Amino acid sequence: MQKRNFVSYFLIFFTLSLIIFGASKIGLLKPLDALGKGILSPFQALTYGAFSKITVFGSNSQVEVLKAQNLELTKKLIDKSKLIADNKALRDQFQTENPKSTNLIEADVVGAPSFIPGVSVPETLILDRGESDGIKIGQAVVYENNLIGQVIQASSSLSDVILITNPSSSFTAKSLTTQSQGVIKGQGGGEMILDNVILSDTLQKQDTILTKGDVNNSGLGFPPDLVVGKVTSISKNASDLFQKADVKTLIDFSKLTKVFVVVNQ
Amino acid sequence: MKFLAFFLLTVALVLEATLTTIPFVFLILLCLLVLLRENWLFVFAFAFGIVLDLVSFKTLGTSSAFFVTFLFLVLLYQSKFEIATNAFVFFASFVGSFTYLLLLGYNNNIIFQAILSSIIGLLLFKLIQRFNKPLIFNQ
Repeated sequence: MQKRNFVSYFLIFFTLSLIIFGASKIGLLKPLDALGKGILSPFQALTYGAFSKITVFGSNSQVEVLKAQNLELTKKLIDKSKLIADNKALRDQFQTENPKSTNLIEADVVGAPSFIPGVSVPETLILDRGESDGIKIGQAVVYENNLIGQVIQASSSLSDVILITNPSSSFTAKSLTTQSQGVIKGQGGGEMILDNVILSDTLQKQDTILTKGDVNNSGLGFPPDLVVGKVTSISKNASDLFQKADVKTLIDFSKLTKVFVVVNQ
Repeated sequence: MKFLAFFLLTVALVLEATLTTIPFVFLILLCLLVLLRENWLFVFAFAFGIVLDLVSFKTLGTSSAFFVTFLFLVLLYQSKFEIATNAFVFFASFVGSFTYLLLLGYNNNIIFQAILSSIIGLLLFKLIQRFNKPLIFNQ
């Protein structure tokens, strides 16, 4: 082989490689790359599958079969547990008269940012439903007849819900027994207060607090008579303008796996 | 011979793309170069490097540039010394595999893999040498 021959071959193909490398690095070859991968990936999957089968033949087949069965059974067990929980949640929700089940979209809780079990409580929830499912910003989120929160953001397939205990949450509410009206303000850490209740109104310990209803003309907002929580303590001073009460929610937000979004009002 | 080279490189490509990080394509290229010393191996090195990058989700051109450079260095070396020896194939396989794995960012047992590669490289060299002696002499 002539020396200058292989040098010219080297120079040509090395330069070509460098050009392709540079173009690939800056993303110029993305369509070509995707096309190539699209063409080659079925062959790759096929050969990988064939080699996997060869590997299975070489190993203890009985153990492999048992392992596969174990994985399958574990998956079925998880699916069944989820199905039972979903079924119970749906049955409970259908038995609830307010809000009507025909006005609801069920959604799975897929995230609770900043929630650390034993350290902090959830302040927001991420649901697996989004704009493509009819979710809009401002819609109420419930579980049975309990108010959970409100949709504050929605992408095409996910939505972000602010919980009623979040410090950014506030809405009008009333007590069940005495019909005293006030504003529920989230305090963070799972706490809420009923504020702005005039002194002449009566508040009772263990009284249930309900939403007063603040649906706007677009049908967005909280429907009336959803359960917010129960009064745990009352703070009333003659010198103050208003009285207030601590309210405890009846729902453990950290254990919610399925909720319902009120879509039609 | 080109057909045999194409077949061997295709098998090596399939193995490398689906099963292992041992650089089979590089080892086959090295063995073929040591035995044949043909310029068309640069074309194969370039083409198979591109396809290898494509199927193993690496930046296109990385493997090609490495293969072409390594073949060039081996050819430069052969102008002064004999390269069709077991010692050279073993050493070149080790150095090449080690550099290649390092270049691709593998950091798991590189030395062990390079030693294994050099043993496989030597075995491949002996195999190709034995089964294709008539073909090689006919070149």
